[in-house]
Amino acid sequence: MSLAAEAFVSQMAAAEPWPENATLYQPLKEDQILLSDCASSLAVQAYLRMCGLPVQVVCRANAEYMSPSGKIPFIHVGNQVVSELGPIVQFTRAKGHSLSDGLDDVQRAEMKAYMELVNNMLLTAELYIQWCDDATAAEISRPRYGSPYSWPLGSILAYQKKWEVRRKMNAIGWGGKSLEQVYEDVSQCCQALSQRLGTQPYFFNKQPTELDALVFGHLFTILTTRLTSSELAERIKSFSNLLSFCRRIEQTYFEDRSS
Amino acid sequence: VGSNMAAAMELRCWGGDWGLPSVHTESLVVLAYTKFSGAKVTVSPIDWTWKTITATVPELLCGNSAVQEPAQILNFLRKQRFNADYDLTARQGADTMAYIALLEEKLQPAVLHTFWVDAENYANLTRPWFASRSPFPLNFLVPSRHANTALSRILLTKGEAPLHRITEVEGKIYSDAKECLNLLSYRLGTADYFFGNSPTSLDAFVFGFLAPLHKAGLPSSPLQSHLRQLDNLTRFCDNILTVYFSTESPCKIAETMDANLQKLTQLVNKESNLIEKMDDNLRSSPQHKPHRPDPKPGAKSSSPA
Repeated sequence: MSLAAEAFVSQMAAAEPWPENATLYQPLKEDQILLSDCASSLAVQAYLRMCGLPVQVVCRANAEYMSPSGKIPFIHVGNQVVSELGPIVQFTRAKGHSLSDGLDDVQRAEMKAYMELVNNMLLTAELYIQWCDDATAAEISRPRYGSPYSWPLGSILAYQKKWEVRRKMNAIGWGGKSLEQVYEDVSQCCQALSQRLGTQPYFFNKQPTELDALVFGHLFTILTTRLTSSELAERIKSFSNLLSFCRRIEQTYFEDRSS
Repeated sequence: VGSNMAAAMELRCWGGDWGLPSVHTESLVVLAYTKFSGAKVTVSPIDWTWKTITATVPELLCGNSAVQEPAQILNFLRKQRFNADYDLTARQGADTMAYIALLEEKLQPAVLHTFWVDAENYANLTRPWFASRSPFPLNFLVPSRHANTALSRILLTKGEAPLHRITEVEGKIYSDAKECLNLLSYRLGTADYFFGNSPTSLDAFVFGFLAPLHKAGLPSSPLQSHLRQLDNLTRFCDNILTVYFSTESPCKIAETMDANLQKLTQLVNKESNLIEKMDDNLRSSPQHKPHRPDPKPGAKSSSPA
């Protein structure tokens, strides 16, 4: 989205209140969605629930191709379509809903920095394990990614995706990393998040922010997704405050409403 | 310099210019960290050698091991007990990781774009510089290779949709980078360094990204003009340059000043010689004084005529 378009969208957004029929699109939950997309989608859902904005989750096999940025998830609100957590946070702020307005400038800098840490390490590690670990790619990612399509289209799309992710890994210097090094990076990232969280209920004490939503989306998804090896989840389980953090958000924002 | 150490360490990096010890971000990060941690390394610039194409810089050579990439080199130095982060708390260590991630995700794409993709800057500054530092025939190859790597990195990490074009991501990466500069400026505040009174890894990384942007004579750069409005960040760079790199840079300035003075003196000498000669010539010339009276009469004689 261009800057002019962005400015236009935020102006438009400010004019209208949040509608009842807002929709969040993601790939098919049972057969198709992969770890990284599931984590990003859960992060957005957590964020919207923290804001108290109702959204209906809809699964579509072609969600990736429907998204304006090609990334999962995206929301359809009124007559606007916005994808990914960052732009969605901007969009809701324009409508007068924000979780980080109470922070000062230095805290906001810190929040953005930790959000980039999650994107830089956890998201990249998820993509690496999905597409660059041969066992995971062959047993899980390729069959699931191509599942809605008949042969040979499914395989072609899956290989295309795999090739794209591998090129990205090479460009950022992750191409030469071993699986063990990636697990080590995940541990370091969780160590940093755990240190930052400390004994507080949320990263900025009493009130959750978009950082809490993002961390929850990734950690909770890793903890609850079955992969070929449980090593990734095990790395997170050694940080008890992160586990109780996930449980806290799940209980506060996801269990109350579903029951 | 490192001769008194058990294992001498050699750092291969791009050479300096524009008042910087290196013009290359990753090289600068490592150079700054070696200064902060007191590690003695022999700096060997790869300029004008075939290493401009064969080596991955920066690269630290120590005994039989070769370490590449800033993060790995800093880890290696920490294991050699050159630890600038020794006094940091665990929480500050976590902050360091987060801010380095912020730099990589939000600032690096726009810095790469500014130097390697922006047509005007590339043609007038970056390509000529790297070409002039590479031996023939690599001068035709090295700059374009860097430019291609930079472009594909930006597209693969920040590109949207499968068929991405650079114009679509430009607006986004520059607004991200400006926001990142603002966040760094808030975080630094009025302090000299990011954590307390002495510089750490994070300072090395921030310095590496900001200093070239601050010092390069870029023909067009919205990012540079944005940085120059953030006084505390430019002061941060200047301060590190004077405190940690001044032993080298004043020498260079002195040298160039000496050279310039010498040239000037030579010129002045030549000039004065010439003037003297002219004077001599004039004094000794037959048309000088003795002849002055002559034209007058001649003129007098001619005017009536």
